[in-house]
Amino acid sequence: MKRTVLIPLAVAMIASVAAPLRAERLKVVTTYPYIASIVEQIAKDTVRVDALARGDYDPHTIVPKPSFIAKLRKAHLLIINGAQLEIGWLPPLLKQANNASVNPGTRGFLDLSGHVTLIDVPKSVSRAQGDVHPDGNPHYYIDPHVIPRLARAICTKLSEVDSRNAAMYKKNYDEFAARWKAKRASWDAKLRRLKGAKVIQYHKNMDYLLIRYGLVRMGTVEPLPGIPPTSKHIAELEKIFESNTIRFILQDVYNADDSSRHLSKKFGVKMVKVPHDVGAVREAEGIFSLFDEMVRRLTQ
Amino acid sequence: MKRFTVILLVFIFSVAIPSLRSQDRPDAPKEPAQKELRDDSPADLPNYDDDDATLEPRNESKDPGNGSPDEPENYDDEERGAARTAPKRDAQSMKEGTTSSPFSQSQFVPDISFVLDASYNHRDRDNEIYKTQLRPGFIQSMSGEAEHEHVAPNAVMRGFNFNYAELTLYSVVDPYFDLFAAIELTTAKVLIEEAYFCTTSLPFGFQLKTGKFLSSFGRINEQHAHNWDFYDAPLVYEAFFGGDLNEVGVRATWVAPLDFYLMIGAEALQGANAASFGATGFADPNEIMRVRDSDDPNLGVGYIKTSFDIGDLTVYMGASGAYGRSRINHGVDQAGVAGTAIAAHSHVLGADLTLKYQFDSKRYCALQTEYLYRFMDGAYYAKNETDIVEEYALVKRQSGLYAQLVGKFAMRWRAGIRYDLLAVNDIKLDGIKESLPESLPRYSAMVDFNATEFSRFRLQYNYDHSMYVPRDGSFASRPNHEVVLQVNITIGAHGAHAF
Repeated sequence: MKRTVLIPLAVAMIASVAAPLRAERLKVVTTYPYIASIVEQIAKDTVRVDALARGDYDPHTIVPKPSFIAKLRKAHLLIINGAQLEIGWLPPLLKQANNASVNPGTRGFLDLSGHVTLIDVPKSVSRAQGDVHPDGNPHYYIDPHVIPRLARAICTKLSEVDSRNAAMYKKNYDEFAARWKAKRASWDAKLRRLKGAKVIQYHKNMDYLLIRYGLVRMGTVEPLPGIPPTSKHIAELEKIFESNTIRFILQDVYNADDSSRHLSKKFGVKMVKVPHDVGAVREAEGIFSLFDEMVRRLTQ
Repeated sequence: MKRFTVILLVFIFSVAIPSLRSQDRPDAPKEPAQKELRDDSPADLPNYDDDDATLEPRNESKDPGNGSPDEPENYDDEERGAARTAPKRDAQSMKEGTTSSPFSQSQFVPDISFVLDASYNHRDRDNEIYKTQLRPGFIQSMSGEAEHEHVAPNAVMRGFNFNYAELTLYSVVDPYFDLFAAIELTTAKVLIEEAYFCTTSLPFGFQLKTGKFLSSFGRINEQHAHNWDFYDAPLVYEAFFGGDLNEVGVRATWVAPLDFYLMIGAEALQGANAASFGATGFADPNEIMRVRDSDDPNLGVGYIKTSFDIGDLTVYMGASGAYGRSRINHGVDQAGVAGTAIAAHSHVLGADLTLKYQFDSKRYCALQTEYLYRFMDGAYYAKNETDIVEEYALVKRQSGLYAQLVGKFAMRWRAGIRYDLLAVNDIKLDGIKESLPESLPRYSAMVDFNATEFSRFRLQYNYDHSMYVPRDGSFASRPNHEVVLQVNITIGAHGAHAF
């Protein structure tokens, strides 16, 4: 009885020790699908990339699953959004994965937020302000101008971890950057027409896009980050609707949209469900189509 | 004169207000005239367009991998508003520098959090009657025995109860270890609930943990009380472990490099659990009967856990075993009073299954069930008031289970039901079966409101059919109705919880 258990166990353990000796595809794990999509652009099928979170779920409150631990256990490289967006779900998974090579501070770990400038860095932090991010607004990747910067950071990191393929990564990055630049010109042209338009968003998750294109942020449907709308707050918002011409209400795909719908109906303002990540809506299949769809929904 | 005052006031306001405003908002946008609702963020984003340039090889080796941009800062910016584009860490350290010494270690303060748990309890039994109640063969008294570290949460009396406060500390130690401590504070004493350090850099999926910690036996044992889905621990955990298996020792785990989750772990523990194990020997006052301390470490625990997803359904299951020596002394060493003691070998075996279905980002439904079996083989000592000790051969076969269904049906609301059962209660003294109730159930229902993840209010109802009172040398059933209103508040840097 004991032997039948112990022998496969010993085999598995030896296999796990021997596994790194065998040449295999680099395994990259990303927290969010948009990062995985950029990795695919840079690495094509040289690496195996897995995103942990689903793109249609609230990125702040991804529900941890042991299957994430299994992915992290085998990863050679972990790429995160950072700026504390993963703070509520990733740390215990990473700890349980027992994988020393992807811990923060090691070569197999990349925090993309370190490569961008964050806005809304609070001068003081208090949970009375709701679900605040002490490092600043973490939804920075929603700005199409920042994506090449992220892609470059990923390319640099891939080349560091897997130097044999560095030339290929660089070639792919250059192609990607050129393609992105062409695409971005058309998005810029469309979105710049929205300059000056006043918008209300559910959560401050589109700030980077709105600031980039000069849209005016008039408020949020949630009274404080992470706190569901209250009737008092909606009444305050209604005053803003009464005295301003609001162009859109931007609603994410994962929060209840009752309040946004109510405001939309009452004031005849269009509610736009904006995809926040790859997979948030069916059309957003990759990093290009995510922005295509975002722009389409905002400009149609 | 009046006109002069007015002009002066207007002048002061016109000068002071814009300067105040610009103090508040150093990067205030110029264009939108309207006041934005709480949007006090700067209006400009950095220009990343120079990133369009193709990758220069010289940049590739520059990345320090610690989160700073992979190229040197362009200090030319400083002439035109550098504060805006300076990385946040620089701004922070500059601010730090003005208030603390160059040797300040304040950045190394561990994550500190504080949890408070209090409740209002109502029961349809007077406290005096409740204290005489017991779960025959499992829990001999609800009065909360002094030598037990941990009074079972449902041994609380009626009215307001300060259940516990918990201070947690966590930090990385160095590149090789991290350390976690949970210090439990009651109104009377301070207990080290957990204090352990863990390896962070062992190869091949291994991890070692050393210190005092909650064993990973079963499913719920490892969870802290404030993370439970119900106010109280499952009955079977209270019966077999006095609430939880919390021991001093070493744990080793290994996570298999497979496509699904598979973890194997083993623990060598001191074995001081008051309900099933124990290392300290005992003797009667006349030292005629003496049981030696057991060899230490006294308790071994092993488990295997696995999990996989089927679409939005997560399946998690595990099997656990604990084997150790039992030295359980209930007053056998005190002269002039009746007392009992057990010296035995004990096995506790457990199986657990959790099924969690995620409806969408905010809503789920989870079924969680555990079955535990205890086998104890040894000697039972009964001492009467005249200090005469009688010894019996003891064999205990007992089991229990719980099954709970919890649903999060809105962003802030959860509700759940739980069924507890102590099922087999087979205790033989010198081969003769004791007359004990065979089935002791408890039924619970709860609803909780989580204003945020840091504050929770819970209402729970228990119909506790596991309670008995001694009568005429036997036991009479005395079920309780209990209602608990519980509040659980957390402040500070409290780490996220595992699955």
